[in-house]
Amino acid sequence: MTETAVRAGAAVALSGLRKRFGEVRAVDGIDLVISPGEVVALLGPNGAGKSTTVDMMLGLSTPDAGTISVFGKPPREAVVAGQISAMLQSGALLEDATVAEAVGLIAALHRKPMPVARALEQAGIADLANRKCTKLSGGQRQRVRFALALVCEPDLLVLDEPTVAMDVETRRTFWQQMRAYTDTGRTVLFATHYLEEAEEYADRVVLMRSGRIVADGSVAQVRAAVSGRTLRAVVPGAGDLDLPGVRAVERRGDQFTLTCTDSDAAVRALLAQHPGAHDIEITALGLEDAFLALTGEDD
Amino acid sequence: MNTRFLALELRRAVRNGRYLIFTVVVPAVMYLLFVSLYGGGGGTFPNGLPIPTSLMMNMALFGVMAGPLSIGARIAVERAIGWQRQLRLTPLTGSGYLFTKGALGMLVGLPAVVLVCALGAVKGVQLDALHWVGVLVTLWLGAIPFVLMGIVIGLVASPDGMQAITGLASMLLGLLGGIWIPADVAPDWLATLMKVLPVYWIKELAQAPLVSGADVKQALLVVGLWVVGLSLIAVRRYRAQS
Repeated sequence: MTETAVRAGAAVALSGLRKRFGEVRAVDGIDLVISPGEVVALLGPNGAGKSTTVDMMLGLSTPDAGTISVFGKPPREAVVAGQISAMLQSGALLEDATVAEAVGLIAALHRKPMPVARALEQAGIADLANRKCTKLSGGQRQRVRFALALVCEPDLLVLDEPTVAMDVETRRTFWQQMRAYTDTGRTVLFATHYLEEAEEYADRVVLMRSGRIVADGSVAQVRAAVSGRTLRAVVPGAGDLDLPGVRAVERRGDQFTLTCTDSDAAVRALLAQHPGAHDIEITALGLEDAFLALTGEDD
Repeated sequence: MNTRFLALELRRAVRNGRYLIFTVVVPAVMYLLFVSLYGGGGGTFPNGLPIPTSLMMNMALFGVMAGPLSIGARIAVERAIGWQRQLRLTPLTGSGYLFTKGALGMLVGLPAVVLVCALGAVKGVQLDALHWVGVLVTLWLGAIPFVLMGIVIGLVASPDGMQAITGLASMLLGLLGGIWIPADVAPDWLATLMKVLPVYWIKELAQAPLVSGADVKQALLVVGLWVVGLSLIAVRRYRAQS
């Protein structure tokens, strides 16, 4: 497919997106295409520009420059058509309404909503329907927001830090419900700073820092982009090792630790030159290391 | 206008205990109290309006002030807690939101008007059918400036300040507008001030068919200016925020 064809069929296509607040360049030139059916994690530290990007995709704020297309439409049109919906990060719920009423109000505004009871069920809060919105725990409130986002049956669901107020157990249940939703072929973009969530639930990770995308790919690719892999081996009687695809060598007796940019090439060359090498171990650095390397400030 | 959304909003608004007390019960009770204090003996104002009829209009106006003011002012709360952001992720437009709040304000003003007028009928206010309809409709439409005032407060105030501002607004409007002190017995300076505010003129419109010498043109002009002025402020404020 050509670039234009991909963009035309895309769930989201951002191009040259910029937004500044006073002197701060919150979003500083972002190009991003998300295909239908992808589950994408937008990862980055606080202030990286995640929420600003999300707001612009939802039509909640206007970019200073660049274009946004959601299913080929401007964001507001996609919102009106019920194609994109979001679980917002902050925002209280109505204090004088019950959970079912709050979801009902939002459902009443959409053109083709699902029944309120079904939205509550899918969000795992069917038992809270008649609870006042003021009498909810943090995790329960998040799931009400999830129901508010689900009720229009969006093709693209945007989640801004969805599990912030949840404990570990609730978080796991939440992601199971999310999975059930994405299994129906929906597109999901979630902003998070929990690495394990990105690692576990996303097909693709987009890493942001200081308003820019610094890495974009599968979890494995993003990891490799930073640090490659570490190769450990015992090489008896070796002098200095000179192998392709190796960035740094550390030696302790016969025990070598090689930091590789291309561990495949390195291990082939190692075995060719030193057939006696043993206890070979190749490990990927965690996404956390990649994250820290990519998002940390340059000093 | 999305009627289902309006109906759900209405249910939420009237369920609120404070609404029922301040905008329905208080005007009705005040009316009964004032009629028993001043309404006996068949007294009339200099313009010929019997005292129970005048009190009925005043208390109904009090009702159409308090309710609509509080509805509009809740915009401040919905804005502050982020509910408006949630609404912006639906097909509801900004003007649709303001119109819904406006319609809601009009609807919550209605029970007080109907109840106070019904009590008036019980307490001996006698009008022919056409005049009853005219009085009811005029008093009810008199809610329009207060609905708009509530919306402007809602768009301007913070949720904390909102309570104080609406409380102060309804007190001042009532006091200076002639609800608690009839214009006929007010000192000159107060009477002058009253004629700047919409309340006095809405009453003038409501009583116009029943009294002699009502200045309908002036009344329509002043109320009209309030409506246009408040609408412009609301629109400007709203545009500035979105």
